[in-house]
Amino acid sequence: MSGIGPMYPNEKPENPYVLVSYAGHLLGNYSSRLCAGCGYGIIGHIFTRLFEDEKLDPKLYPLVLGIGCYSQMLLTVHYATQKVLSLHGRAPALATGMKMANPQMKPIIFTGDGDCLGIGGNHFIHTCRRNLDCIILIFNNSIYAMTGGQGAPTTLFGAKSTTTPYKMFENRSDGVKLALAAGATYVARTTVAHPRTFMKYFRKALKHKGTSVIELITPCVTYFGRKNLNNLGAEYLGLKGEKMDTAGKMIDWIKRNSIRVNQAKFMNEEELFNKYIIGEFRYAPDQPEYSDEYAKIQKIARGGI
Amino acid sequence: MRFMPEGKYLMMGNIAMSEGALAAGLNFFGGYPITPSTEVIEHLAARLPQVGGVCMQMEDELASINAVIGASLVGAKAMTATSGPGIALMTETISMAANLEIPFVFCDVQRNGPGTGYVTEPHHNDIGLMRFAGNGEFQVITLAPMSCQELYDLTIVAFNFAETYRCPVFIMSDAYLGHLHEVVKIPSKEKVEKMVIKREIPEDIIGKFSYKDESTGKYIIPKPPIMGTDYCPPMFLSQPHSLEGMPTPKPQIFTEMMIKKITSNIDKIALTDTYKLDDAEIIIIAYGLPVRASYRAVDLARKEGIKVGILRLITIWPFPDEKVKETVKDAKVVIVPELNYTGVIAEQVERVTNLNTPVIRIPNVCEIHHPHDILKVIKEVDK
Repeated sequence: MSGIGPMYPNEKPENPYVLVSYAGHLLGNYSSRLCAGCGYGIIGHIFTRLFEDEKLDPKLYPLVLGIGCYSQMLLTVHYATQKVLSLHGRAPALATGMKMANPQMKPIIFTGDGDCLGIGGNHFIHTCRRNLDCIILIFNNSIYAMTGGQGAPTTLFGAKSTTTPYKMFENRSDGVKLALAAGATYVARTTVAHPRTFMKYFRKALKHKGTSVIELITPCVTYFGRKNLNNLGAEYLGLKGEKMDTAGKMIDWIKRNSIRVNQAKFMNEEELFNKYIIGEFRYAPDQPEYSDEYAKIQKIARGGI
Repeated sequence: MRFMPEGKYLMMGNIAMSEGALAAGLNFFGGYPITPSTEVIEHLAARLPQVGGVCMQMEDELASINAVIGASLVGAKAMTATSGPGIALMTETISMAANLEIPFVFCDVQRNGPGTGYVTEPHHNDIGLMRFAGNGEFQVITLAPMSCQELYDLTIVAFNFAETYRCPVFIMSDAYLGHLHEVVKIPSKEKVEKMVIKREIPEDIIGKFSYKDESTGKYIIPKPPIMGTDYCPPMFLSQPHSLEGMPTPKPQIFTEMMIKKITSNIDKIALTDTYKLDDAEIIIIAYGLPVRASYRAVDLARKEGIKVGILRLITIWPFPDEKVKETVKDAKVVIVPELNYTGVIAEQVERVTNLNTPVIRIPNVCEIHHPHDILKVIKEVDK
């Protein structure tokens, strides 16, 4: 980041959380480099707020970021966090090393859909499999936004992107199903249109010992919304859609396109096609955690039982 | 029990290297099995938990090197070991580690290539890859041991270089050296402890991390930062950083300091050794296993009255330009026996020798030189 983006001098000076964000702490006002209508501002703000309210020790909760638009969230998250910007897709692997070398830590990993389910899919699967004590937040905006709107593994069927100019015809990758199959012990999905739910899930993940995977559906107005109609995911209803070129339209679409997990039980496959199922999918707090198990191995190796 | 009791042991090269790493304070090993380096991870999987360290078999090479970087960030002494295809996968992260200035040690037990190659045979064909591993401009250190004893000793040196210069440090082994069984003399615990540079927060800086010397304002190579303590920059970005540790829009200063931190300390880094070089007219420049054949060839040639000597490169990268230039300036002929066909080091020697000094390569692929091969060349050029 060679410079700091636009600044908003009148940005709610009464909001105390602005001043504990990284840029706010340095400059005294809010600044970010994200597009108008982006959901990452909400996520960064909630993260900062929780970090402040829960009085998390920054030395024990390092932040590991992958590569994507959310790498710019370095400016909007809490100033005290110790941050590492890792390579594209490799954040879970890097966090594994950190956690194992210092088992008191609980890394919080920011990854995107392309980062986590595309290039870093293998690392994601194996981190979940080990049940390593960490929090993986997957920001799913259905698009490769930083490189300019290319199709992602999570792009919805029929959606348009710069590399799928006619329509997306590949099957979509589902981060939650993947995490469940790989063995993550806390798996949930929510959207930025449900910020309080996200806060609830994130608090739960902080207290959970084991791999927590929270997938967040966030809007990308610039590269996803402008190219796609808001009847996406509801084609079977025969609606005439309009372009989702504002944040409001995208948030509306996300809300309409998200089905709660208990509702989804009563819906058929056609109705659930291209929809996001939100809610908690698994919570297994008693599963053995990797660094705990390794400590037992160390004890055996030293001649203990 | 981190240190083996003092004494002599019959050890495999890969295991001698692992023991050297343990003696140097290794805490974290992330690896992925690959012939011929597998014994390293096998041995450390048993040994590291005994000393309170962690040995992880990761899902692939990409993950293992990233875990190593992560462990090094939080203050562990970390290393990985792999072979040709593995280092090819790891280059992305090696380049990131060089950028973040994270110390780690990398053992490359080379095998034949390209592609899968002939996996159990030695071939020094990753030398160029080690020098230019990854995108971007940076300097690495590569050490070339020639015996199991040196695998033990130079691994400790490699860890010290990594701690001091905070760059990727490679140990260049190969399939024969890694699987060679030799007697290794393990020094006493006190002696090793005196050699090793520990990873700790410097007392004089009092918890503040900076790349800048406060009095002169110039770049220094600080002790490695440790995440989870106060001695840590505000953020680790794999982007050019300024002297304050913040991202900078002027990468030239950054690139310059990346390169200069190695090149300006070349006297301390470039280790060399000589053998019967004082009056030599024919000079053999060698590194790694071919040195052993060269010693014998020189002894045989000296019996016949041929004035020949050896300059042995222990550090091959950074290439000791000045030292080689000084040594070969009066030489009649320079002979470079190498375990590869192209002659990567021979090219470097050609770069620093006079244009009229012939540099003769003795290429050998997947087979170590016989002393008589080298002797034959010495006799030919002596005529």
